[in-house]
Amino acid sequence: MSQLEKSFYSKASMYSFVVVTVLFFLMWVGTGQFSHMDWMLFGYMVSSFIFFIGITVRLTSWLMRPATNEVIKRSIRNMKTKKRQKRNWRAITKTLIDNIILQKFIFKRGLYRGVQHWLIAWGCIGSLAITFGLTFGWMHFKLIDATTYQMVVFGIPTLEMAPDGFLAQMFFEGLNITASMLLIGLAMAITRRIKNHDLQVTQRAEFDLFPLYILLAVTLTGLFLTVSYKLLGGWMHPQLALIHQITVVVFLIYFPFGKLFHLPIRPMAMSVPMNYQETPEVDTKTCLGCDELYSNDEQIADVKAMLGAQAFDLTNEDGDWLAEYCPACRRKLRVMSQLNLPKKTNSKPTPIETNNGIHMPGFGRKRSEEFYQSAEAKEEF
Amino acid sequence: MNKVMYLEFERCIGCRACQAACRECGGHDAKERNYVEYVNFFENRQTYPMMCMQCKDPACAKVCPANAIQITEEGVVLSAMEDKCIGCRNCTFGCPFGIPKFDFEENKMYKCDMCYDRTKHDISPMCASVCPSDAIRFIDHDEMMDLRRRRTQMNLIEGKKPSENDKWEYVPEFFGVYSD
Repeated sequence: MSQLEKSFYSKASMYSFVVVTVLFFLMWVGTGQFSHMDWMLFGYMVSSFIFFIGITVRLTSWLMRPATNEVIKRSIRNMKTKKRQKRNWRAITKTLIDNIILQKFIFKRGLYRGVQHWLIAWGCIGSLAITFGLTFGWMHFKLIDATTYQMVVFGIPTLEMAPDGFLAQMFFEGLNITASMLLIGLAMAITRRIKNHDLQVTQRAEFDLFPLYILLAVTLTGLFLTVSYKLLGGWMHPQLALIHQITVVVFLIYFPFGKLFHLPIRPMAMSVPMNYQETPEVDTKTCLGCDELYSNDEQIADVKAMLGAQAFDLTNEDGDWLAEYCPACRRKLRVMSQLNLPKKTNSKPTPIETNNGIHMPGFGRKRSEEFYQSAEAKEEF
Repeated sequence: MNKVMYLEFERCIGCRACQAACRECGGHDAKERNYVEYVNFFENRQTYPMMCMQCKDPACAKVCPANAIQITEEGVVLSAMEDKCIGCRNCTFGCPFGIPKFDFEENKMYKCDMCYDRTKHDISPMCASVCPSDAIRFIDHDEMMDLRRRRTQMNLIEGKKPSENDKWEYVPEFFGVYSD
């Protein structure tokens, strides 16, 4: 692998080359050796290639970050371990259903936000799937006879359907359905961005608002195409199609480099139940300072490796990593060192030390005989 | 932002007004992000307030596999971005000061952001604005330097003499974001 890597300018360029080659090959298969290319979709096709190259480059650089790299390395190691297969699959299924399909954690941040995000997310994923399927020619529809329509996937004839049946309608209206989902979600999101003042503190126009507006432009121009040919008798259809194409091209080129990039990295959430905390809020590792449960061995090992890889020497005098202490103990360690009262980190509570070297301790108690004798001796003089 | 946060732990009286104020800050969602804890409950009732140091090179951001912890141009280390955070809790273990908190319910990390909406306009953060004993202060850089010097002198009057090896420990630490 490393030998192959040296033949390329960088890792990112190697993976991009592989991705483009695979896409090109799939296109070749899907379109029957380029025999039925849809040239109406040429702009979409070029921008889809740029989309995939962008995603590859961004994912590669993201995976090269020491922290990400450590998590992925452990995930791959765990995937290969036979003993952990059951846990792995449970983690993957759970993350897929809870975090990606249902997005439960966003619903817990608020029903409004949950509905809004779910509609946008699945509107986007659905639209992207249909777009890529059609532009790369991975699927197309064929008329077999006057009453049967057939879907062809990668040149393999599959599903047959009546052209006016429910299934066919669902396919033809697919993009309209996802666009409607997007329109509702986007309206909710933009309203929230305008009304919620807390959000405006850290929001950035180019990062948080631009993706919403570009998605809105795509959705509105796309839906207006349907309005044009259904209600307005094809009024301005070619021009409208071109405008829609421009918005989609901008969206696809922007996607890997902005906020929307959180979509391809989200599946890493499965590494949490797989590598670290199997059941939420159940810890297995004890703190060096207070013996309380606070984490698990794998996670602390990973954190130490990440810090080590980036030359963070967060160890104390005893050679223990601060990560081996629970957050409360770490806070205490900081305060004690700042108050110039360094404490043996592993020690049990000790009796109060009242002798500070200046004030004599125990004013209420009788002192040793010697003390009074010397005082009496002074009086005699 | 020209001001800095200045903490004097001994001044803390444990009233927890800073925590109540923190809950009120916009965007904090009624959850406090700072700490008031006992130094040693077996010995006395001395408490100390604790906030984020806003590190220049934050360990929490460096151990985040999703690259979710961002630093503003003023140098404030923000909570993990909600769209990126995958909820792995690495930041809570990576931070050498034990600052980031984790919300299991909403699956996200949140931490002290020095009330970014206020401090970026040089308004004191919520905790500093309510502290009755000036344990938490949001002051000019010059004033902070002055206080540090005075504190060193105080330490000398009290009788504890710094030696060559530990004289820096007599100067209290300051943190926050400032530009000269």
